[in-house]
Amino acid sequence: MPEAAVKRVEIKSAERLRALMRDYFLDLDAAAASDERRVAWCTSVGPCEILSAFGFATYFPENHGALLGARRLSHELIPRAAGIGYCPESCSYMNSDIGCALSGRSPLRDVYGIEGPPKPDLLVYSTNQCREVQDWFEFFGRREGVPSLGIRPPRHLGEVTPEHVALVRRELVDLIGQIEGRFGLVLDSDRLEEAVRLSSRASALWGEVLATARARPAPLTFWDGAVHMAPVVLMRGSRAAIDYYETLLSEMCQRVTSGAGAVPRERWRIYWEGMPIWPRLRELSEKFQSLRASVVASTYCNSWAFAPYAGGDPLEWMARTSIEIFINRDEVTKQAFLVDMVRRFEIDGVIFHNARTCPNNTNSRFGMPQRLREGLELPVLVIDGDLSDLRFFSTAQTMTNLEAFVEQLEGGAR
Amino acid sequence: MSEPLFAGVDAGSSATKCVLVDAAGRCLGHGIAPSGFDYAIAADQALNRALDAAGAKRDRIERCVSTGYGRERVEQATRRVTEITCHARGAFEWYPQARTIVDIGGQDTKVIRLNAHGHTADYRMNAKCAAGTGTFLESIAVRLALPLSEIDGLAMRSTGRLVMNSYCTVFTSTEVLERIKEGQPHEEIAMGLFRAIASRVAEMMSARDGAVAATGGVVTHCRAMVKALEEVLGVGVLLPPLPQHAGAFGAALLAMKPDDAEPAPRSLSLEVIRPC
Repeated sequence: MPEAAVKRVEIKSAERLRALMRDYFLDLDAAAASDERRVAWCTSVGPCEILSAFGFATYFPENHGALLGARRLSHELIPRAAGIGYCPESCSYMNSDIGCALSGRSPLRDVYGIEGPPKPDLLVYSTNQCREVQDWFEFFGRREGVPSLGIRPPRHLGEVTPEHVALVRRELVDLIGQIEGRFGLVLDSDRLEEAVRLSSRASALWGEVLATARARPAPLTFWDGAVHMAPVVLMRGSRAAIDYYETLLSEMCQRVTSGAGAVPRERWRIYWEGMPIWPRLRELSEKFQSLRASVVASTYCNSWAFAPYAGGDPLEWMARTSIEIFINRDEVTKQAFLVDMVRRFEIDGVIFHNARTCPNNTNSRFGMPQRLREGLELPVLVIDGDLSDLRFFSTAQTMTNLEAFVEQLEGGAR
Repeated sequence: MSEPLFAGVDAGSSATKCVLVDAAGRCLGHGIAPSGFDYAIAADQALNRALDAAGAKRDRIERCVSTGYGRERVEQATRRVTEITCHARGAFEWYPQARTIVDIGGQDTKVIRLNAHGHTADYRMNAKCAAGTGTFLESIAVRLALPLSEIDGLAMRSTGRLVMNSYCTVFTSTEVLERIKEGQPHEEIAMGLFRAIASRVAEMMSARDGAVAATGGVVTHCRAMVKALEEVLGVGVLLPPLPQHAGAFGAALLAMKPDDAEPAPRSLSLEVIRPC
């Protein structure tokens, strides 16, 4: 085996990512402080291209929720939200973020030297992922005295029909009208098309980055993807995201060519279904590495790999994209996607994360693991946990589960 | 020269168990010690007891596999394997017809599906909650100020069908008090507790075909647990000769194999991912 294949090589682009993130947050902070610029908050698969076209600096609270989880602050913050009536078993991103606002101290100060999330002029959500985002944004709308607007696409779709797309498109047109009316703006259709083109390009490049993990050994894992996905979430619609993913893709291709695997001596290829467990990302990454198991693909990271924009009506592309995403589909469509991923990435076993406060991003509750196990004759494991709230996670039990899963794979290989 | 021995040490949350087998996989001795604060000490004690039972000296041990929550702390171990694999291995050795192994331990409950070769086909552990585990019973026993053996004795006299509805240990404690207030016979309340655990086990079973074997400390010490499992699952439950030592026995059997001969690598995909 060549030496390059047994040595863990760190991703060099990470340094550029850190600089990019710092620039993004400093710009948001400057926009919030400026009289000439406006800040909008948007959900992660919301209509951010419209906000870019209007000239809003766009901030994504879910990223802050993930940061609070990764910094292991949720257990301090969730009780603050619970104290004002938000059920602690509801979305831990939402509860952590609300608790953070109530506490008045954000880790953004330590990470980027800014006081906290930028004060919004406008909040825009899409319930294509869950209804919790609507309640989350409405909390901040009341608190900040700014409008909370949203679109409510049809949910859990099998086939996406022209009628579905037209319905969502009308919602987007209505949203544009509301923003124009409230802020005295007029949408520049050329700017919207440009934002959609940039968004689609960034998304396509991100999809290509993830596809490099089809190689053996895979040059990046889900754990890497959970970090390097930040630009496609926060900066799509910008040139910066495209530049970043061109660089990252080039690096991943070099790694494929040289045989540099993200997991030294990769032996098992795993699919991760569900949210990351942000407070335990590093431990889980190290555990999988010690087991020589590479988590080569995930639903989560692929959630921002959209179908490309090929010209035409940008609002139609936005409408279609917002309802075609995995989280907004029915069980049959989701299962077909997972089966395809298992085959394309030559997966040995699938792990479902049952995120206790995120039923919308959990797919182990309606028999999917059993159907996959039987249909693909593949080992499947469900682990209990949460995206942020460690009260739902047992480290010892999970690590034993993961070790036993690899032992099961080994038993099958003998 | 003395015949080599192979040791399995199961460092569980409540007790640490050890089994010694010979080169033919026969059990020559077993020992048990409370896990306490230090798994290393407990493992040493359990091992010494097993050696005493086997009439053997420590230098005869050729390899040792550790398992259980404290497996990383067992200093004698030459390899560490999870309790899921070890319980499956031990139970299958005793009962090759078993396709489902139910292990009810102190800290967690596992349901393991085996294929015809004894390999794990599927498994589930209880969620992060004590309900359905030995700790659940111990907690309720403390609340009732009764030793576990007495609760078991009471339950075995049950003739009724009382079911506890609660999911969690704390709520079940409250439910026990409610049943006492209602005037339910103590033996019915006691059996209701075992049925509650059996119900949790039933939820974890992905298939009901093939024989079921039970392992772990709870079925060792509580006959009512086996009775409740048979009642709720609707099948006879096989109880091995040393149910609490099944994990250690499986570990000892795994120790008989030299450390990991890696299977031959599978063919690698040469697919071009994209033109880079």
